[in-house]
Amino acid sequence: MFQDILFICSAILVIAGTLGVVFSKNLMRACTLLLGTLFGVAGLYAVLGADFLAASQLVIYAGGVIILMLFAVMLTGGSADKANKFGIEKIMGMGSVKTYVIAGLTVLVFSLTIMKLLASFLKGYQKLDELPAFTSTVDKIGTMLVTDHVLAFEISSILLLGALVGAAVIARPRRG
Amino acid sequence: MASYTLDVYMPVVILMAIGVLLVLVSVFLAQIIRPFKPSALKEQAYECGEDPVGTAWANFNVRFYVVSLIFIVFDVEGALMFPVASIFRRFVEIGEGGVLLGSLLIFIAVLVFGIVYCWSKGDLDWVRSFQLSQEQINELKGVEDKA
Amino acid sequence: MSPTLYDYVNQFEAHQKAVAMLNEFFGTDVTGYVTFLVFLVGALIVVGVMATIGGLGTYAERKISADIQMRQGPNRVGPFGILQFLADGVKMILKEDIYPAQADRLLFNLAPMLAIVGVLATLAVVPFSSGLTLANLNVGVFFLVGISSLVGVAVFLGGYSANSKWSMLGGMRGASQIISYEVPITITTLTIVLLSGGLSFGAFVETQGGLPHQWYIFHNPFTFIGFFVFFIGMLAETNRAPFDLPEAESELVSGYHTEYTGMRFGLFALAEYIEIFVLCGVAVAAFLGGYKVPFDLGSGVIFVEKLGLPAIIGKNIGQVLQLGSFVTKTLALYYVVIWVRWTYPRIRVDQVMTICWKYLTPLALFNLVGVTVWMYLTHNQSIWELFSHLFAAAGSGGGH
Repeated sequence: MFQDILFICSAILVIAGTLGVVFSKNLMRACTLLLGTLFGVAGLYAVLGADFLAASQLVIYAGGVIILMLFAVMLTGGSADKANKFGIEKIMGMGSVKTYVIAGLTVLVFSLTIMKLLASFLKGYQKLDELPAFTSTVDKIGTMLVTDHVLAFEISSILLLGALVGAAVIARPRRG
Repeated sequence: MASYTLDVYMPVVILMAIGVLLVLVSVFLAQIIRPFKPSALKEQAYECGEDPVGTAWANFNVRFYVVSLIFIVFDVEGALMFPVASIFRRFVEIGEGGVLLGSLLIFIAVLVFGIVYCWSKGDLDWVRSFQLSQEQINELKGVEDKA
Repeated sequence: MSPTLYDYVNQFEAHQKAVAMLNEFFGTDVTGYVTFLVFLVGALIVVGVMATIGGLGTYAERKISADIQMRQGPNRVGPFGILQFLADGVKMILKEDIYPAQADRLLFNLAPMLAIVGVLATLAVVPFSSGLTLANLNVGVFFLVGISSLVGVAVFLGGYSANSKWSMLGGMRGASQIISYEVPITITTLTIVLLSGGLSFGAFVETQGGLPHQWYIFHNPFTFIGFFVFFIGMLAETNRAPFDLPEAESELVSGYHTEYTGMRFGLFALAEYIEIFVLCGVAVAAFLGGYKVPFDLGSGVIFVEKLGLPAIIGKNIGQVLQLGSFVTKTLALYYVVIWVRWTYPRIRVDQVMTICWKYLTPLALFNLVGVTVWMYLTHNQSIWELFSHLFAAAGSGGGH
């Protein structure tokens, strides 16, 4: 019952947020609506029982990336009239009813095919009820990170180091 | 499939809903009672009595962007370290803490190296010194001398 | 041990009987609805109490500042002016809402909502007592870090949407300050996660004891430093003085909420004061023993055994004691936060960033390394346990 409610709320948040991002003509609003999408995705993770992933989604995307994007928009000035310079209406032949109909039909066909494929895959698993009870995923992730995947854990720190140095280098003033 | 365990999220959803409702209701309530007499003067942005010049949506300094980039790096680091940190105690209790401590320390050391690099290059300074090189200074001095 | 409010309620016989009766009456399983009702009532109570505490916070702020500056402070409305916050609330509702002409109205409306939602959602994981914890999430503290970043977005949007220069500057400063100080706070909470072996606040508190030497702040020298790092970060996170640059009234008029009037302004203020309480509560739960009561009075077993009270009453007395312990410590920290505001001068914006990146973050990383090494070398003993072992060894004649 509550699972359904949580799922429906998250799904609505994702779909509404994404549509808002796509159709918004204002960059700032699009960024803010993206926050709704990311929150919805976190909710979906929570429904799937991946509580740590949901929280990571909140911390990294909702907290960090959205602020980063907002600041990035502020680098451009963020005003409304500059938005949508390269929007969908600016491309020839786009934005008419015809193109939308064609795109819609294509998406429908593709998604039906993929869903059919997926369904046959999913039918292979008839034992979903035997999954272990919903316990803390954090400990499992932690144990995996330091036993089986310790190399990935360490290398990710190198990746982060690269990101840190890169961030610093881009923003450095050019000295003559 | 084990839907009851999702109940732990119920208070979160309820509290968020209460938050949204609180805002909507209080703003709506205020809308009924409060006066509403807009005028051009009232709607002006406040600039200490002067007429506002231009828009506030101007290009901002890049350092805000850098701060948020560095923040994301630390955020991801935190996300990776939290699960490892939560099992450290158990590993220590069974006497297996050594390897885990080593891998944690390597992880931290790499990041500390990053901070030290940024620090030494002056990227952590809020006020950057946009200093001219010695040649440019000499050049400028030469211009001054001629004048 | 009861992880959530529902489990706490569920252990009483009366509740189980009531659920059984309802099941029979409706002919279906109503447990889900009852859970929902319990949580709804709990959430409403918590929000109501928090809103009152937020309101009283504004009153306390004025009264304490008045004390420090040898003034009277509010003293007209109610005894000692204690109803001042209600009068303020009425004023907020009656004020005209003004939208700046050039504002982005959608975001202008959205910003206070984000602030309130972000702050109220954090209330779900605050451990008021072992029974009154709305949701003891497995990822408790991590969830809190994530959801409270909504406030940063709200501050930025509030500043941006008004299209006023003061607001814009305040919003930019506020957002960058909030995210910067999240780094030392996160790293400092990592040390507590290391010590307690879990991310949930339940694990934080249950691994501490009621007496000060069992608290994590006195566990080892690194956590002692860590507490102050956390506290300073907390001040900056909630935009409190000496880090109140986003709303620095002498330079930015009122910062990110310069253009807000009426109820929306009130909501921003309410969110800020509740956030202070929540973060003080987190500091208490992580470092100061949370809801633990000395001598294990909190479980209520002692009342049952010594005084012969029924188990249910003993348990509830224990809960009240736990609640009292938590709230007392939190309000004491709240007082310190206000005290700091009226004692220290505001620091400059470049100093804010210097303190964060050049002092607190390295210090927090140092603490993190220190705590891991300490735990490894001493097998997770606190400094007191080490001393007591040493004395025991010395007392038994020469040790090993």
